[in-house]
Order: sequence, then C-alpha cells, then structure tokens
Amino acid sequence: MEELVEDLTRGNVTEVKVVLASVVAALAVYQVVLMSIGYGKLRLPFLGSGPASSAHRAIGDTIVVVTVVVALMCLTYFGLEEDEAVLHAVSGFALLGVVAFKVAVIRWWHGLGRYLPALGITVLLLFAFTWATSAGDFLVGGAE
Amino acid sequence: MRGDSHALQMLGSLFVAAAIVATVIAIVTSEFGPTSVAELDARDERRDQRLDRAEERREQRIELREERREQRGG
Repeated sequence: MEELVEDLTRGNVTEVKVVLASVVAALAVYQVVLMSIGYGKLRLPFLGSGPASSAHRAIGDTIVVVTVVVALMCLTYFGLEEDEAVLHAVSGFALLGVVAFKVAVIRWWHGLGRYLPALGITVLLLFAFTWATSAGDFLVGGAE
Repeated sequence: MRGDSHALQMLGSLFVAAAIVATVIAIVTSEFGPTSVAELDARDERRDQRLDRAEERREQRIELREERREQRGG
C-alpha cells in the first residue's frame, strides 16, 4: 500500500496530501455558506435554498471521498509513530467519526436531523484544525 | 421551467466549487516552487556551473599568488 501511494503521487506524497487537504478544507468553508443559504439564514437573489442544498449534498459526497483518500494516504504512508503528529491524528480520527455520524443522520437517522447544523459546524472546525496541524504547518514552515 | 432553474443554479454552485478547487491548487502548488524534472535539472545545472566558476577563480588566485611569490623569490 505504501508503495502504491508513492507510485500514484510519483514520490510527492506530502505535497499531494497538502494540496488535497487544502482543497477539502476550502470546500468545507464553501459548504457552510451553501447550507446557510439552504437553511434560509443567508438569502441571495441568484441562488435558492433548494439548489444550494442539492449542491451541498453533491460537494459533500466528493469531500467525503477525497477525505477518506487523504486519511488512507496519511495512515499507510506516515503511520502514527510520530509524537508531534498526535494532535493531527486525534483530530483526523474525530473528523472521520463526525463525518460518518453526519452521513448516517442524513441517510438513516432522520430523527436526529435537528443536530445537523451543529454537526456541520463541528465538521468545519475539525477540518480547519486537522488542516492546520498538517498542511498548514507544512505550508508555513516549509518541507523539512 | 422551475426544474431548469434549479438545475442551472445547482450547476452554478458546482462551477463555483470547481473554481475554488482550481484556485486552491494554484495557490498551494505555487508555494512548493518548481517541481518539474526539467526545472529541477536546470536549477541543479546552474548551481553546478556556479560552483565550477567559483572553483576556477579560487585556483586562478592560488596560481597568481604562487607566481608572485616565485617572482619575489627569484
């Protein structure tokens, strides 16, 4: 698996991970804007709540796939042995857990639907923290 | 008509998402600097040439110093 990740990224595992993590973090912010329109908290003349919610769902599905790919790259290539990456690993696992729970609420546990806004904000914060402890660190501090 | 408007607005939202993705990729990759093999090879070549020139200048200085010493001595 480690070799597959290295082959797919042509040896630039960290760089590809940083790009993908930055893309999903930026899309997570956009998702909050879309859902604010979806819930009617933000009103725009050119975008209704229905289309905003549909776009939120489509982009969300993409984000989940990319996030799982990044998580797999991270686990198989970098592992969990580094002390300084503990915070990143904890927030990453928490992120995957909350995303999985949110998807379950949307698909099956409709009774918990009132918690979706809180879950969405939690996902955004976890995305931001996970990005900051890895990709953000890399972009600010440079490759070491 | 309503369905058309819904699809159009959704497409517009997805287009914005694609623009965000392209912008983030451009910004983040620009932080990495050159990554193409040709650019990295050219950079290595320039560094080697610079080191060679510095080495040549050092050797010339040493030769010149020795010549002067010989002239003074002889």
